[in-house]
Amino acid sequence: MGKAKVAFFDFTSCEGCQIELTNYGDAAFLELLNHIEIVEFREAMSERAPSFDIAFIEGSFTREADRERLEDIRKRAAVVIAYGACAATGGVNALKNHQPDYKEAVYGKDAGQPHLDSSKALPISAAIKVDYKVYGCPMDKYELLRIVSHLLHGKTPVIPNYPVCVECKRREVVCRYDDNDHCMGQVARAGCGAICTADGIPCEACRGFVDHPNEEALVKVLKERAGFTDSRAQSKSRMFTANLRSDAK
Amino acid sequence: MNVYFIKDQDFNSFVAKMMESKKVVGPVTKKSKFVFAALEAPEQLRLDYDVTILPPKKEFFPTCQSLMKFQGNHCEGCINPEEKIILGVHFYDVKAIDMTDLLFREKNEDWNYLANREAATIIASNIQNVSSRAFFASVGKEVTPKGHDAFLTKLKSGYLFETLTAKGENLVKFGKFESASDGQKQEARSVNDVPLKKCAEALKHSSKEIAGKVRKSFANESFWNEAAKDCFSCGSCNIVCPTCYCFDVQDDWNLDQASGMRTRYWDGCLTEDFACISLGAGAVENFREHRGERFRHRIMRKAAYLNEKLGGPACVGCGRCSSACTPNIADPVNVINKLMEA
Repeated sequence: MGKAKVAFFDFTSCEGCQIELTNYGDAAFLELLNHIEIVEFREAMSERAPSFDIAFIEGSFTREADRERLEDIRKRAAVVIAYGACAATGGVNALKNHQPDYKEAVYGKDAGQPHLDSSKALPISAAIKVDYKVYGCPMDKYELLRIVSHLLHGKTPVIPNYPVCVECKRREVVCRYDDNDHCMGQVARAGCGAICTADGIPCEACRGFVDHPNEEALVKVLKERAGFTDSRAQSKSRMFTANLRSDAK
Repeated sequence: MNVYFIKDQDFNSFVAKMMESKKVVGPVTKKSKFVFAALEAPEQLRLDYDVTILPPKKEFFPTCQSLMKFQGNHCEGCINPEEKIILGVHFYDVKAIDMTDLLFREKNEDWNYLANREAATIIASNIQNVSSRAFFASVGKEVTPKGHDAFLTKLKSGYLFETLTAKGENLVKFGKFESASDGQKQEARSVNDVPLKKCAEALKHSSKEIAGKVRKSFANESFWNEAAKDCFSCGSCNIVCPTCYCFDVQDDWNLDQASGMRTRYWDGCLTEDFACISLGAGAVENFREHRGERFRHRIMRKAAYLNEKLGGPACVGCGRCSSACTPNIADPVNVINKLMEA
């Protein structure tokens, strides 16, 4: 098995998922480099590669001007992996899609500056074909490794389409609702290992929804079990799933 | 076998002596709930628990279980049973363990489960507090709890300890036991009758009547779709169930890309992809695509499909699914009683 040529790219994001890559530690990262060759990575090198086996793309697609760059990456890549919530679903960036006045709210008197202009925050898949997604804010570095391993062996990676409740129950975590709290684990895509709920923090669905979330039941349960007002229950899931909700703009 | 009595003041020393001999697993607190966990001190044991989040099945069939290590083309199984004593199992969980014993033994014997099961000594105990969702008194009355090694009953001034197997009898040496008197045996019978009268929920029909009606309701799509309207397909009802035994198997490579591990994980038929099967060439078919079909399937499995094999329903009335379901629709009592009246 020859080394797979890998390239990294970033779009609208906090670049936290790139930081997460550095959290593997030296030993794991150097072991990984026995199996992959990084041929393009703006943060770490100036070389450009004509083609690569896997392109990892971080960040969401928020400017029409980025389409050309994305199409160029797609042409050069055999496999495109959108990694991190912003690339996979639009992530928190997509919160602005529902708020036409976001620039005034965030930048005040500077809202008119031309460099602040952008379109809706969309997942990378809105611009180009994406083969695999690594969900999460930040993405789970071990899941990324698992996906790379599967691709190196010519296998299709399995990405969970069941909710966080499954992983939470497997860990025998006391349900947030039984602790007089709220949670969105019932509709959130698993794969994180229920790390937040195990720490006593409600799931915010940072990995997005499962394929067919029961949004009506979520609103009902947030109201009836967690005492949310109707408007809070209606908007609760928007933080990480604005583009996945049935009212996505 | 034999019936013994041990005084309250001698009980913790009995538990401590067992802990010196092997790992002892029992109910302990986790926030406002209970879980089975390895005891670190006898005082942690909470035999007054109502129900645990997960059933004791996890001691034989861990939620994530390594099945096989591989290195290139060489592979090695991971069966490595640890001798342990599981203390404080309620009778409904004893019934469930007896069912999973049968299910993992029939046809292809599953030694990943059976080796752990055979290495365990099970001490059942009476139910001192009844969970608000339990209905064990009215479900599967024809199924007798069996397969445990001893039964412990809390009496006013101590515990009655009935040994049922050689494994159970072998524990007597760890405690200051005396032969139980007829009065103590009588007291234990009364104590064990109490929880049967304290279930807040009850099925209103026999297992046979229920199985017949449930099967006949298969085509009643509007009933199942309505029942599953608020279902998240979250699988919580499956994961907490003591008689569910489905699992998913995944292979993962280590960083060296030459060695790795095959692991199985508890799975649940309520989740959307559970019934997804490959048709080849990348095509997929989901034969229970809608949530109503998946909701129906669980009730069919629990109330009808396995009854002949198990001698009764594959439900023991622990009420874990009812408590775990956030929209409160999984309760078999509500679903079945409504169906029986439909």
